[in-house]
Amino acid sequence: MKVTVAVNGTYYTREVEPRLLLSDFLRHELGLTGTHVGCEHGVCGACTVLVDGQAVRSCLTFAVQMDGAAVTTVEGLTPAEGELHPLQEAFREAHGLQCGFCTAGFLMTLVPYLAEHPNPSEAEIREALSGNICRCTGYQNIVKAVQLAAAKGGGR
Amino acid sequence: MTNQQTWIGKSVHRVDAPAKLKGEPVYMTDRPLENPCFGRVLRSRYPHARILRIDTAKASALPGVICVLTHKDVPGLNGFGIVIPDQPVLCFDKVRMMGDALALVAAETPEIAAAALDLIEVDYEPLPIVDDALAAIMPGSPLVHETGNIHLRTVIRRGEVAQAFAEAAVVVDHVYFTPRQAHMFLETEGGVGQLMPNGELHIWCPAQAAFRDRLQVARLLGWDPERIREYSSPSGGAFGGKDELTVQHYLALLALHTGGRPVKIHLSREESTVAGIKRHPFMVQMRTAAAADGTFLAQEAFVVADTGAYASLGGPVLNLAIEHIGGVYRFPSLNVEGYCVYTNNGISGAFRGFGVPQVLVALESNIDEIARRLGRDPLDLRRQNLIQRGDLSAIGNPMTTGVGNQAVLEALENSPTWKERTAKKAAVTDPWKRRGVGIGLCMQGLGLGKGIPDYGAAVIELLPGGKFKVGISIQEIGTGNQTAYAQFAAEALGCDVADVEVIQGDTGYSADAGTVTATRSVFTGGKAIQITAEKMVALLRSTGAESYAAAYAVARERGLETKVRGSFAWPEADEEIPGAFGLPHHIYGYGAQAALVEVDTLTGEVQVLEVASVVDTGKSINPMGVEGQSEGGVAQGVGLALMEDTVVREGRFLNANMSNYIIPTAGDVPKVETFIVEVHEEKGPSGAKGMGEVPIVPTMPAIFGAIYDAVGVQMFRAPATPERVYMAMMGDPSATEDTPALRARIAEGRRAGLAAQLHQTEGEGYAQPKGPEDEEA
Repeated sequence: MKVTVAVNGTYYTREVEPRLLLSDFLRHELGLTGTHVGCEHGVCGACTVLVDGQAVRSCLTFAVQMDGAAVTTVEGLTPAEGELHPLQEAFREAHGLQCGFCTAGFLMTLVPYLAEHPNPSEAEIREALSGNICRCTGYQNIVKAVQLAAAKGGGR
Repeated sequence: MTNQQTWIGKSVHRVDAPAKLKGEPVYMTDRPLENPCFGRVLRSRYPHARILRIDTAKASALPGVICVLTHKDVPGLNGFGIVIPDQPVLCFDKVRMMGDALALVAAETPEIAAAALDLIEVDYEPLPIVDDALAAIMPGSPLVHETGNIHLRTVIRRGEVAQAFAEAAVVVDHVYFTPRQAHMFLETEGGVGQLMPNGELHIWCPAQAAFRDRLQVARLLGWDPERIREYSSPSGGAFGGKDELTVQHYLALLALHTGGRPVKIHLSREESTVAGIKRHPFMVQMRTAAAADGTFLAQEAFVVADTGAYASLGGPVLNLAIEHIGGVYRFPSLNVEGYCVYTNNGISGAFRGFGVPQVLVALESNIDEIARRLGRDPLDLRRQNLIQRGDLSAIGNPMTTGVGNQAVLEALENSPTWKERTAKKAAVTDPWKRRGVGIGLCMQGLGLGKGIPDYGAAVIELLPGGKFKVGISIQEIGTGNQTAYAQFAAEALGCDVADVEVIQGDTGYSADAGTVTATRSVFTGGKAIQITAEKMVALLRSTGAESYAAAYAVARERGLETKVRGSFAWPEADEEIPGAFGLPHHIYGYGAQAALVEVDTLTGEVQVLEVASVVDTGKSINPMGVEGQSEGGVAQGVGLALMEDTVVREGRFLNANMSNYIIPTAGDVPKVETFIVEVHEEKGPSGAKGMGEVPIVPTMPAIFGAIYDAVGVQMFRAPATPERVYMAMMGDPSATEDTPALRARIAEGRRAGLAAQLHQTEGEGYAQPKGPEDEEA
């Protein structure tokens, strides 16, 4: 099937198998390997991307469903060469990552969350993060990173 | 250290953060590939079966299949394993677990590779299985290996045990069970293999022991190791789970048959869980004796570790557990009998803590009960029995290096979680909930132990403009050692951290510094870098230049080597513990934790509200990194104590995916307050020791102690799920596993274990375990 999708501001038209997952489309068709697959079941959240601004698990989404949609991956979050998005910068400052494999999913979950909740409490942040799994950090510094980003203007 | 340091001890931001945050393809499984093909592994259908026939004809004929390989295609040794190579690369006579590999396929697409797996015909003759570690010891049990089910027996006896128990005022005797915890690193095992135009085999695979991996791959190929290059850093999480070969052997074999094309394997989550290693489940029967004044008199334990179908690091895991059977306390008398046994329950191996959490929960829980029975404060009773520097440890090791137990206990005592426990417990809001506070102390042997070659090495290369490249084989698995290494180098060379590029895990560039295991990476890498940096400083002096930038120009002009190497051997104990391979360790890290929990008496659910985590790091190289490791260790400890178990019934995995193997989320993990204490280790780099494993160890006993404090029931089996806690609170007979029947089986197991004639274990450096006859002599 033919699918036309804007990914990180670039239009791509591809002929794909109907069963091709969005995660595989991004990683293998487009070479955007910043989106990781951790569980393949929609549990860990590592594969989260934005579809028309909403956080979506790309491992539970078919590529063909994206026809006409705008997808943003972690590669699209980074503004320019050498710079970091404010949320990325907050993760760096707060030591909000260790192995880093889950990080893209956290970032992409948090971008729309912080847009809607510019001043979340710690409990609200933990609730917002509880659909993403990190095996390294114990989450505390991720929570701190979110608080830091929120304090600096919602991470937008 | 009194001299001012610029980089050591500073919370430098992770040097790898920007690339990881931007989603750059830093991981091996993200590598962009030119004209790749895709590999898959055929796994067993049975946990134990004889292989009658493997027919690959139909699979080979499928269009798009490039090659199908079986045991006949293994040119060298068809076996691997860190200590003994008892695991077939590709099975030939029988399968011993569900994750066993029978064949490999490379194909044009992952879909074709999967279809080809279905076309491989295997005839099996199912065999009786052994899925219970205690049963595996008994005579007549089905044999996983012809040499017998006991992989390792370790017996240590010290002092007058019988007399001590006879004279004790209090004897506590319980049986504890710990689960088959899965590592669940987010990046499953995977990578790429490619035969290069120059005839070298290159493997890109996240790993923990690049040079040892290369040796194992060379051995199975029958190649010179120098023809193989492994790139193995960074890893998307490892925790010990990538210490053994994961897919390197499969990549190597396939790459010989793909005409120079890169072949990629990336395991699914389910395959990772079924085939990958796990934390050894332990059964620990522990009997602890104390005098009326609280002095610990004797410790007796019967320890059975389930290593599954193959040894991997099962022997060392058992022995490290035994080394720590007395924790941070003095025990003048000891009698411990330990067994690492084969079963058909998958495979166990290295996992953060390496056997110590499994025995420490028994010890610390027993101590809590002694305190209750003597009417003593649990912290005070522990303080009374702490090992002092110069004492012998429970296994008889003279503690001659920095002993941090006193310091961590004092820091714990001053932590708000402990100090304000009365108020915190009273702050419970719902009348059906109860709060409690528990504590745990631990030590953790660092490095590989007595008699096992343990060394560090590094290369430092001077680059144009006075910048440096540091090469070390120890990988960045998330712990932050890349940043610590940059700090060590910058400090020793007098440059900025930003001027140091750290190359890890590349056998073609990095010096062999061994593994990223055993909480050895800061000590090993730090020391190696400091020693190597001295040579770089000497190079600078020899050029007469005032700066490294100028020195580079001079060196080039004179044709001087700009790459220097240094190495050192780890300090080790003077005397080995007889009959216990690899024991003792020489340097230990220390930790202590207090946990505040809230138990819902209607459901049995336990919520951990806060944990005070004290870590003795020696000199703390990067405090922010230490805090991160502490918080992550506690999170894994919470999972171990309350949630996690890979359930294997009759050799088959029941929860191999993250949808049913539940690990803690941000909602389950408590607030962790980390307290760093620095008990200077004079043998360490800048006084540092290491701490990565320490924080997972005290969490489980602290939580169990807190559950008792809250609702008055001791948990004996982890994880303490709501069902188990509820049944224990109800006094339901199903909650009591320590029955006369179990005690009879334990007695039988002890007899059978001591009577068993053990085969000499083939392999590198495994001493024949001491038999009972030797003990009597």
